[in-house]
Amino acid sequence: MNGMQQSASIILIDDDRELGTMLTDFLRPDRLDVTVCGSGEDGLKRLASENFDLVVLDIMLPGISGLDALKQIRQSSDMPVIMLTARGDDVDRIIGLEFGADDYLAKPFNPRELVARIKAILRRSQPEPQDTTQLQLGDIELDSRTRRVSVGSNTLRLTGTEYEILRCLLETPGEVVSKEQLSERALGRRLLPYDRSIDTHISNLRGKLEQAGNEESIQNQRGVGYTLIPGA
Amino acid sequence: MRSLLVRIFLSFWLIIGITIGIAAVAGFYYSERLREAMENFDHGDTILEASAALEQGGREGLVNWLEDFPKARGVTVFVFDEERRELLDRPLPNDIARLMSRHRLHLRPRGSDRHEPPNLRRARPLSQLVSADGRIYTLILIPARHPPEYFGRTVHGSVMLIVALIVSGIVSYLLARAIARPIRMLRDATVSLADGDLNARVGNAMAERRDELGMLASDFDSMAAKLARAAAQQTELSQNISHELRSPLARMRVALELAKRQAGELSEFDRIDAETERLDKLIGQILSYTRMDSSPQDEPAEIELADLINEIVENVNYECKSGGIDGVTVQATFDSHPVVQGYAHALVSAVKNIVRNAVRHSPADGTVTVILGHDDEAAKIVVRDQGKGVDDADLLRLFEPFYKTKDAPDSGTGLGLAIAERAIRLNGGHIAAENLTGGGLQVIVTLPVGGAS
Repeated sequence: MNGMQQSASIILIDDDRELGTMLTDFLRPDRLDVTVCGSGEDGLKRLASENFDLVVLDIMLPGISGLDALKQIRQSSDMPVIMLTARGDDVDRIIGLEFGADDYLAKPFNPRELVARIKAILRRSQPEPQDTTQLQLGDIELDSRTRRVSVGSNTLRLTGTEYEILRCLLETPGEVVSKEQLSERALGRRLLPYDRSIDTHISNLRGKLEQAGNEESIQNQRGVGYTLIPGA
Repeated sequence: MRSLLVRIFLSFWLIIGITIGIAAVAGFYYSERLREAMENFDHGDTILEASAALEQGGREGLVNWLEDFPKARGVTVFVFDEERRELLDRPLPNDIARLMSRHRLHLRPRGSDRHEPPNLRRARPLSQLVSADGRIYTLILIPARHPPEYFGRTVHGSVMLIVALIVSGIVSYLLARAIARPIRMLRDATVSLADGDLNARVGNAMAERRDELGMLASDFDSMAAKLARAAAQQTELSQNISHELRSPLARMRVALELAKRQAGELSEFDRIDAETERLDKLIGQILSYTRMDSSPQDEPAEIELADLINEIVENVNYECKSGGIDGVTVQATFDSHPVVQGYAHALVSAVKNIVRNAVRHSPADGTVTVILGHDDEAAKIVVRDQGKGVDDADLLRLFEPFYKTKDAPDSGTGLGLAIAERAIRLNGGHIAAENLTGGGLQVIVTLPVGGAS
């Protein structure tokens, strides 16, 4: 759990400058270097020219919206993205996940929660050279060393979260994996009440598998979790 | 036709005009016939016949002749003797008798008198015959009021009457429809507007009308549009306010965590934390409340109420444990498994707020029971707590925003049940609260199985 020795660079795209400054201060002790951008255009420009480990993207932005910025990022990159959404009411709105964000946090949030989520995603997205697991089920192949997933001859482009979910399901084909387990593994956090993030990630993953020619093989076990059906 | 005024005016004018016209034509026709009858009225023959009858049969002969006098001749003959008695004892028609007495019977009426009935004008009412025994008989000849030819033509009269009825009927119907139909359409739009459908418009159906009702319809539409705009602006305003309130709240939370780092944990910080969270919750509830009255966020879908309740019960139990009120349990009982058509987000919000409210009012070791059942038309969700219940006077006001009973716990926002009420109404259902006899409150939600309207 202490894999955060080296620093990571975070780009925060949010038009609330003061919040950006305070978050920069708050994240520094955790060796997270924050670059703040006040607009989506600005953020995309910085992303094109510099390397960042993770994007924190506010959904409400002047000019190009957070969602549009996310779509543009996803066209060229699978880098981790955490969305800052507006809390609709007490049920969080998970807008963003369906466009490939890894996780989301509703504003106003406890900054410690933001740190926890950033760390969980960064830890997970780090390549583990010593892990040489190769998993296969039907035409789906997963190589953990290269983090490469393919269906037949098609290579899939998965976000970190989708990759972890698929890996989790591939490890125990035919068995039900609960949503709690998936949340702990793929998002590094507990499943919250009314939390639909796992369902949204699963639906994205399913879409990508189908597009690559895999017949629908992830089954929803209502109220329990999900199963990857072998030979489907 | 441009104007309703003109339309009504012309319709009435037409109907009344037709009536007067028909009456005038009929009257003219009648008097023409009468005039012709008068002109062809040959009284000479009749008098000669009477004279011959008197000569041959005396008074008796005259009586017989009178009795046999054919009606078809178009003339009525009265014969008076010297005692002024009519031979057949018939009374004179009133108007003639009046005329006779005015002119003292023997005077010949003046034909030019305009007040006389037309059939007397050219009549020669008086002829006198003298019998063989020297008695004087006075003959009064009155042309029949309706000339025989006229009766032959009455078919035309009834045809004209029917035509008049049909024409005036059609005109009246068109007029009535022209007024009633748009009014009904306006009324439908008004009713749906009053029911809260701010998109209700009279619209295209009356757009081509240029009359007063058409103008009324377009005025109604622009009024409805203004109303919808005002409502939308209000919703947008409270949403913007809520959103704007959240930005400083977000900064406050970060500032608070930074302060904790510098000053260490202080119990006051926890207090600020809790209050910040509460403020956030309240803003969320206000947003939810305003949103619940405008357009729903999702499409209506089939909802398995049992699944929905199971999820909520599970989550509220989770909230109880993490919120430090782990003595309270929520449990569900399913008498049946109804499926309704509705807005899932709103329904979840409603049931969750009702259950949370019940939990807040429960004693430390209380149980909240959610019962799902249904009858023919409606699914029924009952949420019972073991709290103190509320005064009967408060029962109706429970669903008003920010209404709190005397001994309500501080933890509520005062919006939960108001949100539930709006959400249930959005789903075409009904919500009510009542005290349980053994103590506690139950909130009853009924949802039409047919779904949201």
